[in-house]
Amino acid sequence: MNNLPISPDNALPIPAPLGLMELLIILTFIIHILFVNFTVSLVTGAVGLEIAGKVKKSAFLDKMAKSCSFHASIHKSIAVVMGVAPLLIISVIYTQYFYSSTILIGKIWISVIPLLIIAFLLLYLYKFTWDKWQNKKALHILVGFAAMLILLYIPLIFIVNITSMLYPDKWGEVQGFFPSLLYYPQIWQRYLHFILASLATGGFYVFLFYEYKSRKKGGLEDYEQSLKLFGAKVSLWITVVQLIAGFILLFAFKPEVRMLFMGEDLLLTTLLMLSIVLTIILCVFLFLAGYKDSFKSFVLSAAVFVLIVSIMGWIRHEVRETYLSPYFDEFPRTEQSMEK
Amino acid sequence: MNFPSVDYSWLGNGTVIAIIAIVHVIISHGVAIGTSVLTVSLEHQAFKTNNQKLDGLAKNIAKWILIITTTVGAMTGVGIWFSTTVIQPDSIGSLLRIFFWAWVTEWVVFITEVILLIIYYYTWDRWQDPEKKRKHIYIGVGLSIASWLTMAIITGVLAAKLTPGKWIETFSFWNAFFNPTYLPSLGFRMFLAILLAIVLVSLFIRLFVKDLSLREESFKVFGFWGAISLPMTFVLGLWYLWSIPDQAYNMIVLATGMTESTFKIINGLALLILLVFSVWLIRSPKKVPIILSIAVFGASIGFIGEFEVVREYIRKPFIIYDYMYANGLLAQDREKMNEEGFLANATWAKEKEITEENKVEAGREVFVGQCIACHTIDGWRTKRALGKRLAGWDEEALKNYIPTMHTVRVAMPPFMGTEEELDALAAYLKSEIDRVNNEKEVSQNE
Repeated sequence: MNNLPISPDNALPIPAPLGLMELLIILTFIIHILFVNFTVSLVTGAVGLEIAGKVKKSAFLDKMAKSCSFHASIHKSIAVVMGVAPLLIISVIYTQYFYSSTILIGKIWISVIPLLIIAFLLLYLYKFTWDKWQNKKALHILVGFAAMLILLYIPLIFIVNITSMLYPDKWGEVQGFFPSLLYYPQIWQRYLHFILASLATGGFYVFLFYEYKSRKKGGLEDYEQSLKLFGAKVSLWITVVQLIAGFILLFAFKPEVRMLFMGEDLLLTTLLMLSIVLTIILCVFLFLAGYKDSFKSFVLSAAVFVLIVSIMGWIRHEVRETYLSPYFDEFPRTEQSMEK
Repeated sequence: MNFPSVDYSWLGNGTVIAIIAIVHVIISHGVAIGTSVLTVSLEHQAFKTNNQKLDGLAKNIAKWILIITTTVGAMTGVGIWFSTTVIQPDSIGSLLRIFFWAWVTEWVVFITEVILLIIYYYTWDRWQDPEKKRKHIYIGVGLSIASWLTMAIITGVLAAKLTPGKWIETFSFWNAFFNPTYLPSLGFRMFLAILLAIVLVSLFIRLFVKDLSLREESFKVFGFWGAISLPMTFVLGLWYLWSIPDQAYNMIVLATGMTESTFKIINGLALLILLVFSVWLIRSPKKVPIILSIAVFGASIGFIGEFEVVREYIRKPFIIYDYMYANGLLAQDREKMNEEGFLANATWAKEKEITEENKVEAGREVFVGQCIACHTIDGWRTKRALGKRLAGWDEEALKNYIPTMHTVRVAMPPFMGTEEELDALAAYLKSEIDRVNNEKEVSQNE
């Protein structure tokens, strides 16, 4: 292990107790990723519905699409600011791993900046020209489509980044971002898990937003009602598929880690079991909400959803800690108590 | 070399950060802070005088604040962090640990700013009756304060890099944050932001607002802010200059690459243009010449660029004064490196033992570890492209010069490493000098 290119930790101590940092990174990352999910799925939804509207010559679908694009451009701003905290904390408590895995794909990582600027500007263009460009539909769809492609690509960069940091023993074996995409384990399984989560979360968001609006305003326009039920259905069926995708990801972990979730570690096994049971319960509520339009199911599904997301965020953190713990024994962090 | 490295061999690693940072300063100061203040002032003026057109203009400006700050503004802000993580990991890694809680606070303020901005723009049409309009203006004031606060926090970090003050001894957060240049630089930036906004927005108003009375109304508001901000920027700028260390002060002209007299003439001229422009805004807001608007726009962007370049340069040879050198090496590690060797302490170096066979490759690793933060072999900045700059030097001359260069060139950190590593670096540089200059000859002969 001494031959691994893991640097000693920064000489300055980590500025808060580690436990607090871990709690903060779990919480802030969950908030960040939810808004990322909203953005990715609402853009995808807008483009999909707009194309469907054009093909079927339906102004109704077009209105649904427009509403999605409106929400996407707001959530993208919140997604970015919310990302600052988890990025800050991961930089501070995983410096030795995160910095190396970042710099190994450094130029591609920096390219996130111009790419997101372009995607975000396209999103505004997409939103603000919706009515003006009704006669230039193909061009308008193209603008949304380009933004969507960029937003579907960027997560791959972050996934390579945070997955490769778990494998210091593989750092020397592969050069650059694109080879890393195929070289490191888990990447595509994580991507699938993320995309499905995005779509399900986005559907759920649309459902929540319009249910809330209809309660507040005492009713919805027809297209809003359709969008609400569409959201619940998307959320339901994608979540059903997600149950399988979750297992695919679990089986991408190395056996030592996977077995911890399958009985060897009480906490991790309980968390996983709980998340599966809750997901099945969520599906039932979503079914009732989407097909029977039941308000009670709406409230219950929101509560279960928050629980599932919290457990998922927690599990995600435990996976990282489990992968890195042998290295931390050898290359310890500079913690506050070690301050001279 | 605690981490792997990335080499922008033509652009230069420092230039990548500089481009992102300059764009960010223009937007964060000029648009997010300055233009917010101006927009709320316009809205308030419109409300007071019941001027619907002026209200519409203010809304239009708010839309552009939203579009620009949540795309280019926010992403270049994150971009400074992204690029420094890749290019100067040791420095940003240390700063994050020193200023962690400042950054957490920054994050909370940042969220507030974005949410207020979203509310401010999207409620504009809905909150038009007097009671709600008043509330809307308060939201705008809140937005301006939040934007200013983000600057008030990050300035603590930036100022500490040049003047860490007592932190060097105490390692205390508060000593680092409230450092000797904190207040003057914050004050200077604050009024600079408003000036920059006046210049940016007035150009667009001059070009696109055809209604003369509307133009006059808005320029009057800008004139008011200009009359406050111009003298304040000047006075606080002087205070800022006086509070930086002598060694840094003496490098200001050098940093711009100009001669002393050109520097004075160009900066004096820019100040004069700004002065003329401000007076014009106040005296005859209807008749501001386009050419003056364009000149003052160019002068301001130029000044911001110069300010950023100077601010980054005069800190040299350090990146965190008296603590860490520009190449990420700690000042306190010098003896250790000279004894044990730089490569032996560089986690990512492959050549730990130097032999005749790997000498050039080991030299390349020393170069990557200690030089590429600022230098390239071949690139657009001819002073920093060593292939050209060192044309004609032989290995012996390099070996004699490198250990003493920091005494001759005040911006250079000292070389750290053993005698063998010095030989290796000289051998690598020589091989690159030959390669670059031979290529030139070949292409000239063709």
